[in-house]
Amino acid sequence: MRRKRGRILGVLAVAGLLFHVPLMAQGRPLVPAGTQDLGFGTLIPGIPVHVLRSDPVGSGQFTLRGQRNAQVQMQFILPATMAGPLAATLPLIFGATDGGFSAAESIANQAGFDPRAPALGTLSSNGRATIFLGGMATPSPTQPAGAYSATITLTVSYTGL
Amino acid sequence: MTKLRRWLPALLAALPAPALAQGVVVAPHAVFIDHATRAGSITLYNPGEEPVEVSVSFAFGYPTTDSAGNVSVELSDSTPPGEPGAAAWLQAFPRRVTVGQQQRQTIRLLASPPANLPNGEYWARIVVGAKGGKVPVVGVPDSAAITVGLTLEIRTVISVVYRKGQLTTGVTLAPISAGYAHDSVHVRLPLTRTGTAAYLGTARVSVVNSAGDPVGQDERAVAVYHALNPRLTVPVGTLAPGSYTVRVSVSTDRADLPGREALPAPTVEDAVEIIVQ
Repeated sequence: MRRKRGRILGVLAVAGLLFHVPLMAQGRPLVPAGTQDLGFGTLIPGIPVHVLRSDPVGSGQFTLRGQRNAQVQMQFILPATMAGPLAATLPLIFGATDGGFSAAESIANQAGFDPRAPALGTLSSNGRATIFLGGMATPSPTQPAGAYSATITLTVSYTGL
Repeated sequence: MTKLRRWLPALLAALPAPALAQGVVVAPHAVFIDHATRAGSITLYNPGEEPVEVSVSFAFGYPTTDSAGNVSVELSDSTPPGEPGAAAWLQAFPRRVTVGQQQRQTIRLLASPPANLPNGEYWARIVVGAKGGKVPVVGVPDSAAITVGLTLEIRTVISVVYRKGQLTTGVTLAPISAGYAHDSVHVRLPLTRTGTAAYLGTARVSVVNSAGDPVGQDERAVAVYHALNPRLTVPVGTLAPGSYTVRVSVSTDRADLPGREALPAPTVEDAVEIIVQ
């Protein structure tokens, strides 16, 4: 019994050392994570699809966790096209209001920003926020079928360091 | 044992919850390297359920403000002339690594400054890029259809400060300005650094009415490398017509940094009166 108890306490102590002490010793790190992909659904040649940042199913969503009430800078690198089969490309368009920031982590309560430029947001009093991203895919009438891909990059940093 | 069983779920729940997608925890969120040791480290932790490819690189940059008081950290690959950059002589080991699910990885930082480096503080930013697998966006599993896949890369930027010798810091606060609009009081804080090191501190703003009652307050971490003129917005709701006093204090009190890293400096204060019609 004593051995079992000691083993469990040992595991917990190691877990604490592994995860909490080194990672939290100097305040909360800024932790971004993608939680929902930007989804365009089924694409049909010649039919553009615009996903709004307020679309609960289609919008890209990223969570931020960090220091309470801290100001953060977020910057996207957005692709102009997606690469497809036989060097075909599929244009993507991101507009001036396709970015959204919500300290309340609510899709219904977000402040719009231009995702093509650096933007600022302030984390909530519990150190959280959600970033939303919309965009438009514009397949041409002769768009070849196949798989298309591109990379979206989100860069985040505290502004107070 | 029964008690332990009862508490075990709560203790385990206290561990960081796994994220649903890419992104690694980078800690600490600011690195300070002393000339005596010339080395440091950061710890990466992947809380997700998939391995993440991580790259570590260096850049130069520090917070600046635009004419509207918005703060931004613009990164550049090379250090502009006249700036005390450290990015060129900092190295990370390893620079590329795959961090397994719920695993951690230590990245060693090694500084190789020039032999004749003068006393002072030298700045850089670490860019930690985390790339997960390709994320299939909703599409049709049909070879005749157009399917789309997006790869997500998340970069976390943290500061690196390299210090050599005895350093001092401080700020001067030029007269502040303030105005009331859209249910908020907007305050500008023209800060200029003094001394030989960046000023890491906290700016606090409070708004009181003519009876001395507080109607709003805010605070923000500030980092003044040369000069900074940030705009702070204090939500106050609808103010009744009258006179209000906006008070600002800037001190080196930083709860998020170890005491020895935020160099001490005298607190600076200012106040201004605004009239709401």
